[in-house]
Amino acid sequence: MNDKVVVESISKNEYELFFGPAHPGSGNFSVKLKVDGEKIISARADPGYLHRGFEKLMEYRLPIQNAVLSDRLCVLEALNWNLAHAEAVDELMGTEIPERARYIRVIMAELSRIQSHIIWFGAFSIGTGFDTGFKMAFGYRDYILDLFEMITGGRVYPTGYICPGGVRRDLPDGSKEKILRVLDKVDKMVKLEVMENPAMVARTEGIGILKLSDAIRLGATGPVLRASGMKTDVRKDDPYEVYDRFDFEVPVRNEGDAYARYMIGIEEIKQSISIIKQTLNNIPDGDFIAKKFEKPKLNIKIPEGEVYVRNEISRGEAGIYMVSDGGGKPYRVKIRGPSFLHMISVLEFLLEGTQIADVPAIYWSLNICPADLDR
Amino acid sequence: MKLKIVPNLFKNLFSKPMTVKFPHESIPIPDKYRGEHSYDIDKCISCGLCAKVCLNRAIEMVEAPPEYKDKYPKKYVKVDIGKCCFCGLCQDICPTDALKLTKNFFLSTFDKSTTIKEPFSDEIEKSMGSN
Repeated sequence: MNDKVVVESISKNEYELFFGPAHPGSGNFSVKLKVDGEKIISARADPGYLHRGFEKLMEYRLPIQNAVLSDRLCVLEALNWNLAHAEAVDELMGTEIPERARYIRVIMAELSRIQSHIIWFGAFSIGTGFDTGFKMAFGYRDYILDLFEMITGGRVYPTGYICPGGVRRDLPDGSKEKILRVLDKVDKMVKLEVMENPAMVARTEGIGILKLSDAIRLGATGPVLRASGMKTDVRKDDPYEVYDRFDFEVPVRNEGDAYARYMIGIEEIKQSISIIKQTLNNIPDGDFIAKKFEKPKLNIKIPEGEVYVRNEISRGEAGIYMVSDGGGKPYRVKIRGPSFLHMISVLEFLLEGTQIADVPAIYWSLNICPADLDR
Repeated sequence: MKLKIVPNLFKNLFSKPMTVKFPHESIPIPDKYRGEHSYDIDKCISCGLCAKVCLNRAIEMVEAPPEYKDKYPKKYVKVDIGKCCFCGLCQDICPTDALKLTKNFFLSTFDKSTTIKEPFSDEIEKSMGSN
């Protein structure tokens, strides 16, 4: 008799809970959770809130216009997507990129990676209820945005600063000193973080464990895969631009939990700082854009062919597949956003069987970006 | 580990805040900032490249009103700032530097019609002043 009562009460406790898309801690993306009391029985990702149809839009625009469009693939790391798009066009056209432009591209991509990781730290902090971390992160991020404003002319959107053929503007005078000063500030922030907020550790350690075999099966890349114990980084495995000339390490952790992923982000900020310092010391003089692209032209033709470019962006591996039929506009563009697999297969797998209170910690530990998932 | 927070706390108590009090002071705007357009109608050669390269179709080439038709017989640039994404491609492609982006970023408005920048508004103002 008693058993029967218990069974009924469990079934009454089952309900559906929506996490997002208008939740303060979800960011334009929703997860439907099937919950029994506090325990999550199953999770179903529900994308599509931010779909803008970039792949189709790019078929109707010239490469120079697509460079501007590629910012919007992910607001938080616009320059990395700029770089991926520019590389795809450069490879199709066989353009010779000036040395200086390659170095500037690396500096900007790494600065963008640092600010993306800082946002990750901020969002992760507010997700786990650590408000100070959020404010600190966004305060320090603004120093990097000041650099972007000085170099590209816009704080968040560089609007195609890294364009096919090189970069649109040269570094202004005195930018080396300014970049180094900001890097010192970021370094100071990283040291503050490493002091390890005990509440943060308690919220994240042992939560959302992703084993290496599962990570590979579900298609995780970037920091998520590295936190599960695999040493992989496109910058090392398949170097693009001038990354093969720099000395940096790939941080790896074996725990695979939310805390390990968070610490990978912090380690990567340090590595990016060292890459930028090496780049600034070795940057050569010369042109910053190939002669052919100095002024935007409307009649440039892309030779027939297809190309797949992969880049390491802060969230994982970004890919752009581009086909050209010999006209001025690409015939087909396919974009592989790293968040697609992190937010659907990995997130659904990790949320199953956890508590509601752990949802934000797991959700934000994956360093997700709904913009590059929905595209 | 936790005691490390205490010296930081005192340091933060006496340090300057990260933010500035905006209307009274502001951070300097860099020279290459992409803000509101400035258009020099006398330099413009009406080639229409800016209208073609604009990816939001914010630029339209329009004819002059009848009273200015003698002085300006061609088509001139009308910018809709509401559509503009401030990419600066029009500035880069302009062969005579007639269209430029300025440092002005105070562009928020309550009136939708004010986002459209007519090419002849400066001319009209000048003639009003002379009258």
